[in-house]
Amino acid sequence: MIRRLVAGSKRIFGMYRPKRDLQIWPDDVYLVSFPKSGNTWTRFLIANLAHPNETVGFENIHRLVPDPFVTWKRDFDRMSRPRIIKSHECFDPRYPRVMYIVRDPRDVVISQYHYHRKCNKIEDGYPMEKFVGRFLAGQTCPHGSWGENVTTWLTSRHNDPRFLLLRYEDMVADPHREMTRVAKFLGVPADGDRVANAVERSAADRMRKLERAQADKSSLTKDSRKELSFVRAAKSGGWRNELPDQFAARIEAKWGHVMTFLGYELATRDAASVEPELAAFLPSGPR
Amino acid sequence: MIWGLKKIIKYALGTDVAGRNLAVYPDDTFIVSYPRSGNTWTRFLIANLVHPDQPVTFANIERLIPDCEAMSSRYVKSVPRPRIIKSHEYFDPRYKKVIYIVRDPRDVALSYYDFSRKYRQIDDAYPLTSYVSDFVNGRLSSADWGTWGENVASWVHTRNGRAEFLLLRYEDMQVDAQRELDKVSRFLGIDPAPERLACAVERSSADRMRGMEKTQGDQWVATKNKRSDIPFVRTAKSGLWKEKLPATSIAEIESAWGPLMTALGYDLTSVIGDQRETGLSITARGTR
Repeated sequence: MIRRLVAGSKRIFGMYRPKRDLQIWPDDVYLVSFPKSGNTWTRFLIANLAHPNETVGFENIHRLVPDPFVTWKRDFDRMSRPRIIKSHECFDPRYPRVMYIVRDPRDVVISQYHYHRKCNKIEDGYPMEKFVGRFLAGQTCPHGSWGENVTTWLTSRHNDPRFLLLRYEDMVADPHREMTRVAKFLGVPADGDRVANAVERSAADRMRKLERAQADKSSLTKDSRKELSFVRAAKSGGWRNELPDQFAARIEAKWGHVMTFLGYELATRDAASVEPELAAFLPSGPR
Repeated sequence: MIWGLKKIIKYALGTDVAGRNLAVYPDDTFIVSYPRSGNTWTRFLIANLVHPDQPVTFANIERLIPDCEAMSSRYVKSVPRPRIIKSHEYFDPRYKKVIYIVRDPRDVALSYYDFSRKYRQIDDAYPLTSYVSDFVNGRLSSADWGTWGENVASWVHTRNGRAEFLLLRYEDMQVDAQRELDKVSRFLGIDPAPERLACAVERSSADRMRGMEKTQGDQWVATKNKRSDIPFVRTAKSGLWKEKLPATSIAEIESAWGPLMTALGYDLTSVIGDQRETGLSITARGTR
């Protein structure tokens, strides 16, 4: 009761994280992904694209592309619209427009493994077998499993003009092309220089430097092991060397149909053997 | 500001509606569906199955199987565990054990139209065809639960085939309620003795529920202060859309959700592209 009253008073001054109670405006755009799928990199890219005159870093990213689970309510109130809001949530029908980033789950599991080490959630040498099991069961984060998160969005919004699907792998291969798509979706001028600038300012090297300089100032990195970097390899396909076949096989057995649909080639099974075909269930497109 | 203060006081007292902020326990079971899909009937069936010693009524249903979108967070918290909770939410990863009821969206639209008139959300003159457009395009006052297609797809594509998920079709329950309740009973780990199942079905019959609605309607959170000339417990039939729903509305629903409907075994009247062939049977999917 007392605890709830204190929390209630803090609410009067907007000193709380709005989470799911955030007031959503019709012109809001959400940047959504399962964790460890390139969300932070894309946040930097978009912040640099939308705010070419600001120096985007770990200390101000929560203000530029806010996260309702981190950014305070009063900062949301002071923000200019249209807002671009970061989220890891599964499908939410209230989100007016969504950019969804998807990444090969075989890479996601490795990235999440290292992230959990960094956050002291698991010790070094934690068995990968155990981690993969928890990853498949959706027990490594509160946002559902990778398959659940991706599927809820694809089956509800794919082919919808309010939805932009981005693959992390495509962004790594050609960030300029993908950011041009993003700029068009956002209605931000997509001229070559502006996009090129945003890409350059969000390069992995530069982000690593910013991380080192600002690690204590950002909630993304503050309370975690400093010798492990938040900005990791920034590469795709690392699983081929780091993930033993037996674990790749388990991931492909569970989510092969979603992976095939997204263009992630299966290494341990025949794509044709994968049932059911996700495409058969997707919504028919613009209504 | 006043509104904000009211909200804060409600929050402090725990009288805010639980909804999506519900505190979920690992031993909870959820009865989930899009609105007007047979959720209340299923609630009665299950409550009568689990509590054979006391006939379920509109006056005690919220105690036995609370509605997390109607009751306060404090109330839902006070219900003895393990709880069975009713919900209309789209996919929520925190719900571990889920019974999901699906119903032909063409019947859902008709039922929802009457419901919206009962709740005074629309007046009697509002055209059914406009209502169906609102239904398909997510413009109903319940839009926060997603559209029919979004709600169903979000659950079925993520969870179907798993041991902790039971998919029921309203139409199958209509044909043989006892057979479907037998599945529920095994799912909940309750002895599926035929007498017990038959008793629960009998106590949850549409006639009996209609009678109870007449006498207890003003005691139940979902019917209190609503128009009493339109019943909450409606026809309890399926397939009425064939005679009551205009062809344009049928086509609108089928073009929005054709593949999903086909996958759930709802035959389309209009052929849209080649989707008839690609729709795989969801119910036939194996355990994964």
